[in-house]
Amino acid sequence: KDKSAPSKDSTTEGVTEKQGDGAETPKQQLLDIIGNMKVEVSYRKKLQQLKASKYKEQAMNKLEGLDSEGSVPWGTTEDTLRGKPLNPELVKAASAVASSLPHNKKQTESELLAQLRRHEETTDKQKKGETINIRNVISEMTVKRQSPAQRGARITGRISLHLDEDGQSIRPERSSARIDSRRKAYIYGSLKVGKRLNIFTKASREPEHALKTVSSPTIWDLEFAKEVAAVTAQPPRNGFEEMIQWTKEGILWEFPIDNEVGMEDDAEFHEHIFLEKHLEAFPKEGPIRHFMELVICGLSKNPYLSVKQKVEHIEWFQKYFEEKKELLQEI
Amino acid sequence: MAAAVLSWALRAARQVLPSPCPRQVRSYYVDWRMLRDFKRRKMAYEHADERLRINAIRKNSILPKELQEVADKEITALARDSCPVRIRNRCVLTSRPRGVKRRWRLSRIVFRHFADHAQMSGVQRAMW
Repeated sequence: KDKSAPSKDSTTEGVTEKQGDGAETPKQQLLDIIGNMKVEVSYRKKLQQLKASKYKEQAMNKLEGLDSEGSVPWGTTEDTLRGKPLNPELVKAASAVASSLPHNKKQTESELLAQLRRHEETTDKQKKGETINIRNVISEMTVKRQSPAQRGARITGRISLHLDEDGQSIRPERSSARIDSRRKAYIYGSLKVGKRLNIFTKASREPEHALKTVSSPTIWDLEFAKEVAAVTAQPPRNGFEEMIQWTKEGILWEFPIDNEVGMEDDAEFHEHIFLEKHLEAFPKEGPIRHFMELVICGLSKNPYLSVKQKVEHIEWFQKYFEEKKELLQEI
Repeated sequence: MAAAVLSWALRAARQVLPSPCPRQVRSYYVDWRMLRDFKRRKMAYEHADERLRINAIRKNSILPKELQEVADKEITALARDSCPVRIRNRCVLTSRPRGVKRRWRLSRIVFRHFADHAQMSGVQRAMW
């Protein structure tokens, strides 16, 4: 029992830290004591349940396997064997709990640690987003399957809800509602988990292939289609439908307004700014080069033209100066 | 299968088909002057790039003067209607060349008419 006491103290310390620094009113102390008492009781009950479930479900092979490991110290090797090392506090708590019970201490400790490890694995998997078969998960585990520290905190939370600062209003509904929602979330979980029921079948892809083989529609088909469209397209009943029609035709812009409609410039910024590679056809010295460098400087600062337009601009100048080459050579 | 073909044809036809809902469409210009202004605007748009580039050569202190003189001659050789200076912002409804507010492209008389009939969004008679 000495070992169990420090574990309880640690939980109480944690609880008091959560509740706040200064206000150590007598009421809060009372709450803590009650909380601890409840924790004690739940420890016992929980362990009994765990053990009962384990003895029913776990295969004898597992037990034999554990036993066969034999004299090797349980806690350390098992921790290091599996991937993620358990929280040392949890390990201590598990060992303390195991020691407090009358049954085979080593076995219970190993079983508790295995349970904790599995719990951690499932939480890791959920965090990573892997698909878990919830039914398997539930079948493996028991109902109250959280580590003792978490359990203690939860219960103290419930108690604090029950008694307000005035000590008058008791709100059992809130806590029960919380519990129910938690349970529901636990069971129903995510939508993608679980066996497929195969109620809805995917539409087969044959009609698509059939469409492609048909030749393009004849004029009669087009005329018929036009007639049908003219008949079905009723005049708009209200302003909203009118606006919808205008948007489809292109008269009205689409809201929220996209400033870049029609402007599909896929070029990166460096293609806009570093335009010197287009200047290779020009002479490297002289006034023309100077002029073209100024042109390029101006183009690089121009956000309104696309890269194509800028290139065209430079090419036009190239053509122009080539035509005037003879004139330039006279000078 | 016929339904699929029909739907495909409908999709293609919808683009071709004009709107069935009758709406006022301006198919005539108010007067010839408006038409000529419209033609000038079109030409100015077409030749805008060329004019910009030739002017860039002309208004230059780096290039040799002979080149600039050649550019001068070139720009005068372009069609007269291609210069943007010839565009006049006329009233869109009455083709009035004077008294036109740029924001609404309307002459003052038309603007007043619509504003008094509360057909100009956000326009109110001033009173202070």
